[in-house]
Amino acid sequence: MALLAGLGGLAHLSAAEGNDATARRLLAQAVVSTGPAQQKLLAQLGDSGSPAVRDLLAAWTRDEILIYEAPDGSHVPVVLEEQQDAAGKARAVRIDNSQYLADAQHHELRFASGDLNAGDSDMRLRGAIQQALDSLTLADPDPDARRSAAVKLGNSQKKQYIPILQARRGREPDAAVRKAIDESLALLQLGDADAAVQVAAITRLAELQALGSVDALRRAVAASPDPRVKEAGRRAVQSIEQHISTVNFFGTIFRGISLGSILLVVALGLAITFGLMGIINMAHGEMIAVGAYTSYVVQNVFGSGFGFHITLPFSFGGQLLAFGFTLPGLNATGWWYESYFLFALPLSFLMAALAGLAVERSVIQFLYRRPLESLLATWGVSLVMQQLFRMVFGANNVQVNSPSWLLGHFSLDDVSFGYNRVFVIAFAIVIVLGTWLLLTKTPLGLLIRAVMQNRDMASCMGVRTQRVNMMTFAFGSGLAGLAGAFLSQIGNVGPSLGQNYIIDSFMVVVVGGVGSIVGTVCSAFGIGAADQVLQQVLGSPVMGKIIVLATIILFLQWKPGGLFSTRSRSLD
Amino acid sequence: MRTSYRLLLASGALAVASLFAANRAHAEDKVVKIGILHSLSGTMAISETSLRDVLLYAFDEINAKGGVMGYKIEPVIVDGASNWPLFAEKAKQLLEQDKVAVTFGCWTSVSRKSVLPVFEKDNGLLFYPVQYEGEELSKNIFYTAEAVNQQATPAVDYLLQQGKKKFYLIGTDYVYPQTTNLILYKYLLLKGVPVENIGGGLRMDGGKVVSAGKYVPFSHTDFQQIVADIKQFAASGDACVINTINGDSNVPFFKEIVAAGLTPADCPVVSFSLAEDELRSMPTKDLVGELGCWTYFMSIKSPENKAFLASWKDWLGTESYPGVVKEKRAVDSPMVLSYDGVYLWKAAVEKAGSFDVDKVRAALEAGVDFTGPGGKVTMQPNHHVTKTVYIGETRANGQFKILKEFPDVYGEPFQLKALDEKLAALGK
Repeated sequence: MALLAGLGGLAHLSAAEGNDATARRLLAQAVVSTGPAQQKLLAQLGDSGSPAVRDLLAAWTRDEILIYEAPDGSHVPVVLEEQQDAAGKARAVRIDNSQYLADAQHHELRFASGDLNAGDSDMRLRGAIQQALDSLTLADPDPDARRSAAVKLGNSQKKQYIPILQARRGREPDAAVRKAIDESLALLQLGDADAAVQVAAITRLAELQALGSVDALRRAVAASPDPRVKEAGRRAVQSIEQHISTVNFFGTIFRGISLGSILLVVALGLAITFGLMGIINMAHGEMIAVGAYTSYVVQNVFGSGFGFHITLPFSFGGQLLAFGFTLPGLNATGWWYESYFLFALPLSFLMAALAGLAVERSVIQFLYRRPLESLLATWGVSLVMQQLFRMVFGANNVQVNSPSWLLGHFSLDDVSFGYNRVFVIAFAIVIVLGTWLLLTKTPLGLLIRAVMQNRDMASCMGVRTQRVNMMTFAFGSGLAGLAGAFLSQIGNVGPSLGQNYIIDSFMVVVVGGVGSIVGTVCSAFGIGAADQVLQQVLGSPVMGKIIVLATIILFLQWKPGGLFSTRSRSLD
Repeated sequence: MRTSYRLLLASGALAVASLFAANRAHAEDKVVKIGILHSLSGTMAISETSLRDVLLYAFDEINAKGGVMGYKIEPVIVDGASNWPLFAEKAKQLLEQDKVAVTFGCWTSVSRKSVLPVFEKDNGLLFYPVQYEGEELSKNIFYTAEAVNQQATPAVDYLLQQGKKKFYLIGTDYVYPQTTNLILYKYLLLKGVPVENIGGGLRMDGGKVVSAGKYVPFSHTDFQQIVADIKQFAASGDACVINTINGDSNVPFFKEIVAAGLTPADCPVVSFSLAEDELRSMPTKDLVGELGCWTYFMSIKSPENKAFLASWKDWLGTESYPGVVKEKRAVDSPMVLSYDGVYLWKAAVEKAGSFDVDKVRAALEAGVDFTGPGGKVTMQPNHHVTKTVYIGETRANGQFKILKEFPDVYGEPFQLKALDEKLAALGK
């Protein structure tokens, strides 16, 4: 997908360049011509959609296009460069071919700003240029820019834009932009003196369910003495508000699912290490941070490289201890750079799993029968890891740039779906499915379940419990690492990243029922949806959060085991 | 003001008292002791250590040119450790034990409120450098900080000039954003913006608006709902967002803004807590074109600023204070206002001909000025500073492109009452 997008971008670019060259020639002709010929050229320019010409047209209205009279009597329009030499003179760039103006001997000519006369422009011409500029933005190659230009014209309340918009309407290939143009046309017609036109415009706005027109409709209703306008306006506002609440309803559902997915992704690793294994794993957050920092390092390796060098703050035998390493950069660009995230995902899993492995071997393996000690020990591990992040990556947050394919959004009937949100939902589904398959359909999963249910019995049956413990903890940590990779795309990456998510993770696992993956899934989506609904209803994230937490406390009073409590003798 | 963004449970683990600087000045020189009271450990250390660094730089610069009235400056550095009661204890130590002539310090409003009674009791002198909500005036504190009318209201003026008609207020839930947004709400009403064009919601109490705008807790990460709300608010055009979100919540906020397709061209966001230092850890590529408003930008092209930046860089290369990070440093408004504070104090001491607190205060109140990196700053009788306010646009390199300047804005700490009176006079 990234590849196609990249190629598409390239093709697009060269087309725009060709377009620019033609448009510049047209403009050069327009500057030196007069009367109807000039008007015609300007209209043509308005349709060209060339961004370079837009700046030049703006310069023309500011009298910055100058005319050079060549020795052969021909007139060459130019603009002067900003950069001036010691004598206050600057090189002149020709409008028609964007090259430096030179004399017959190919010496570049330099001028001070007063040396040349400005291209003629009067009030009428300026009006025409402005019109060309407006239609130019409407003809921008980027649909978003066109849409935003159309909205701007619609809000201007100036009727002279109606013909420009109508002309563009006929040629517009993009449906979303067409809708924006329709809205803008109706908004402009709303200001008409004729009540019939107004009513027609109101009906049109109601048909279009134009979210942005509510303010204008209210104003029109208040301003108009005509009862027909008032009645139609009131109904239109009602209908649009109805539409807004539908949009909010579906929007809230989507946001609830996406927040639930984030909670799920974050908590799934803990559901393994805490839920299944019974380790009160306070270092879970730092495993998430390992994943996030891995994405950061991968991003830098795809860019200009990553290196770090630290000097320890104490000396050893009079010798300062220092170490460091450098990873060379690939200096990737375009889609290749944008694909770094696809490499970051498996690497985050791997790095976090390795970190988990190290923690399990060094600390946790001695604490399987002592949950309270595991709480303290993992807490210590988390502090050590945070300080390590500070030493390696610095105390400040680091920048992780999202690839462009995770940045945009698409709208269905005004409900917008962010790509990153859609991605996280799919991502959550994939990793839950993967975890479920691993636990239920593989030999390792069988061993894991056996060891977690009854460690001693499994050991008696010949299962190498040490090894299974190690693998399970590494897997749980790896899942946390995956969560970190994703979180780097929507939030910040810093040494205390883990601290932000550790509480949420425990909340999800405890509410879901310790030891139950299904419970974790249900509780994640339940908490996510409740949070978003309350935010929507109360209009305040602070209050929403308080109510969610209070409800959870009450719920746990009622069902201390969580949604799906698993009873096993080994826990007693 | 910016308060700690997170209950960083692990703070203090590596707190190390920094009393190393005591032996720097030569014993034979006449010395004057100056206190530096910042958090060098804990959550706020990220922001506050920069201020310690720039103060040490200013002292070295002054000492190299012969000191203050022939006295060499001897810094006394204490660590507030992001612990507000500890700030008061350290202030007491500076004033009663070390007997410092003046103290430069504090970042969060809560730390300033914590040391205020100590400075008043012992008649000390404190210079406070970070943008804050106002509504305070102590005879012992001089606020080189931006008052609300030197940051928030000029930004609104600029947006109104740009033809913006709808304003969405959003911030972190604590005193600085709450107060600033309440002032802005009243200011917007006064400028003729109708109530329905001020977004984010209002909270009423006894028929009076007590809170305006949308608030999130510290370290909030989920902005989907709020950004969807902003998008609907901005659908009718000419809208903008006034952002007083603090700390790292800004990253998820802006990522969501970008994902929702809200571009600066349609709906710009002006932020009051993001300066160059914060932008170093933000994905600036996604923030290009968003607005900021401060009384100093690193990109100012004045000869004073160029000289300052060059000399600061040289100092970083040669200084030998422990714990000063040398690489990838940015300079921002709180740092420059700390630096300006040192020179304003120096000018006042030289004018008064004495280090005595009462005489220096009288000299400061009578008005001293200094042309610093951000332009000329003049101390006012109300302990605030007249200075130039700049509006800038974020660029991909983490710097600001300056769009507009409001020269010589008089710092006015008490806004709420004045606005209430003006609104009452208009019958609103």
